[in-house]
Amino acid sequence: MDPNAPIVRLAGVRLDRGGRTVLRDIDLTVPRGQVVAVLGPSGSGKSTLLAALTGELEPAAGTVEVLGRPVPRRMRDLLELRKGIGVLLQGNGLLTDLSAAENVALPLRTHTKLPRPVIDRLVRMKLHAVGLRAAADAFPRELSGGMARRVALARALALDPPLMLYDEPLTGLDPIASGVVMDLVRRLNDTLGLTSIVVTHHVHETLPVADHAIVIANGGIVFSGTSAQLQASTDPLVRQFLDGQPDGPIPFDAAPRGATVPEAA
Amino acid sequence: MSSRAPRIEFAVGAFLLLALASLLVLAIASTNGNFGFGGDRYEVTARFTNLGPLRDNAPVKVGGVTIGQVSDITLDPVKLDSVVTLAIDNRYSDLPADTSAAILTSGLLGESYVGLAPGGDPDPLKDGDEIFLTQPSVDLMQLVGKYMFSGGADNAAGDDAAADPAAPAEGGSDEDLPPYLQ
Amino acid sequence: MPFVAATRSVGRAGLFTLSVLRASKPTADFLRELVREIYKIGARSLPIIAVGGAFVGLSVTLLGYRALDTYGAANQVSAMLGLGLYRELGPVLTALLFIGRAGSSIAAELGLMRATDQITALGLMAIDPVGKAVAPRFWAAVLCVPLLTAFFCSLAISASYFEAVHVIGVESGVFWQVLKDSVDFGKDFAMAFAKAAVFGAVAALVAAYVGFHAEPTIEGTSVATTKAVVNASLLVLMFNFVMSALLFR
Repeated sequence: MDPNAPIVRLAGVRLDRGGRTVLRDIDLTVPRGQVVAVLGPSGSGKSTLLAALTGELEPAAGTVEVLGRPVPRRMRDLLELRKGIGVLLQGNGLLTDLSAAENVALPLRTHTKLPRPVIDRLVRMKLHAVGLRAAADAFPRELSGGMARRVALARALALDPPLMLYDEPLTGLDPIASGVVMDLVRRLNDTLGLTSIVVTHHVHETLPVADHAIVIANGGIVFSGTSAQLQASTDPLVRQFLDGQPDGPIPFDAAPRGATVPEAA
Repeated sequence: MSSRAPRIEFAVGAFLLLALASLLVLAIASTNGNFGFGGDRYEVTARFTNLGPLRDNAPVKVGGVTIGQVSDITLDPVKLDSVVTLAIDNRYSDLPADTSAAILTSGLLGESYVGLAPGGDPDPLKDGDEIFLTQPSVDLMQLVGKYMFSGGADNAAGDDAAADPAAPAEGGSDEDLPPYLQ
Repeated sequence: MPFVAATRSVGRAGLFTLSVLRASKPTADFLRELVREIYKIGARSLPIIAVGGAFVGLSVTLLGYRALDTYGAANQVSAMLGLGLYRELGPVLTALLFIGRAGSSIAAELGLMRATDQITALGLMAIDPVGKAVAPRFWAAVLCVPLLTAFFCSLAISASYFEAVHVIGVESGVFWQVLKDSVDFGKDFAMAFAKAAVFGAVAALVAAYVGFHAEPTIEGTSVATTKAVVNASLLVLMFNFVMSALLFR
């Protein structure tokens, strides 16, 4: 793969779910090595964007390229692609009857033929990178929310994927744990040479570590630029979102049921 | 692996061993042991005019000792009598060729079995031979009816005459030798 | 149209079964999962199966004694128990108890895995969730239900022996002899365990299918658990009738 090629490229993408168009006219290019924040109100379609990147959702129109090639449809090729993408899910997705170390070891044991001691060493390294080497033998139910999230992060990094996707990584975390996670996102991105896409609505924790930010609302991208540009934006929708205003372009009173989503401004 | 693994493995091992042991015990202690090893038996056939309650897997006994089982029962479509296949253990391979077979019941309400009475022929029965001396099953109800109607000494003469013509037609009487032996 | 929908869901269930079979490979990881599942659904179902078996043995013996005594055939009570047990009661009751205890837990566990994103996570890690989560449970059930049936039958017969010989007064030797004479190894005994294996497979597939495809919410998990027990029980009774009709020539 060309080292200068973007890790992710979406061109003219339209995504439908359940017969409804969730996102349209999406053009996005993510260069290698960046941390990109995908922001937006709840229900705006941010997670749908991630689904398109992992191949869970096929675009109704346009092309989605990940790691230099279009997202395949055939299961075998899709599985190969997924080995190169690490995903941190909102619910962690840790297997409850395996310990933390066994969870992290899972992708290594399934996809590589490395001998047991090597895998154990790698698992310890990954857990150490997220600061949880001491919790290796704990089970998910014994871990706090923040610790479980970090174990899931270590697992997502197990195969050293070039691309990391984070789906709402700060949900349910206290301020300290949030700080830890975002710090890890940035540091791991830089030290391991990853590219990271963080989908979140926690604007103020995410903007300091992001190189680039896009805002999704009303079915499309309403802003794309650096964090500084985002903070200085005068667009009323972006301002309402950043400042947490209860009323504005997204009205306080809910629209009557059956109303259609208005076109992007 | 977690520290629970050795205990789980022990529990599973114990479970499997106990289950297999109980399977074995059940098989031996509660079934007829008909494991179906066909190699140690030979088969002979016998024709009966009336089987009564005889069915598959009924025992074949000589003098009360079980030496085999009924392995098949079919009806001859031409002669319209039943052909019973007896599977006899190879240990008892010296049954005389003129052995007779009768369908008997163990006790009053017990199950039906085939009783063999050895004859005097020096040649033994071999695999595929037919036993030609057979006694059909005794129908209990008909026997009781006959006794009741042929009754005590007073009614002996009159009822005997009434009962006799009926008897050969029943096919359930005591002596039912094939024609060539009468 | 409900007919089309019903056919489609039968088709989906069939495809799911195929994917379970295809995903079953005897790797070391799979065997480790299998051992764990045998413990969870087999060894831990043992108490209810054992107690159930004992009480069924006692009840059938009592029932049989009352019915047969009117014909003076009380000695045949062990034949009635043995044949009833191996032909119908053993496999069916074990399967139903199994469904209540282990089938519900299979559906609940898979539903919970779905609700906490574990199944999604496996898919995103390029690990087949059916091979990892469903296949070990399926094979554990196919293996365990016949073994549990063996336990059920041994306890039923033991309890029956105790009741018949020490309470009712049937002779010990007669009890065993009548039992052995009436139960055929091939047609009754072996068939019982073949039926049990089929019931285990059916129970596991229904419970796994319903749990795996549950709505990823708390309510979805509880709906799935109930649905699993009801549907699996009905299917087992149906299969029991079909197998008995076909095999009891």
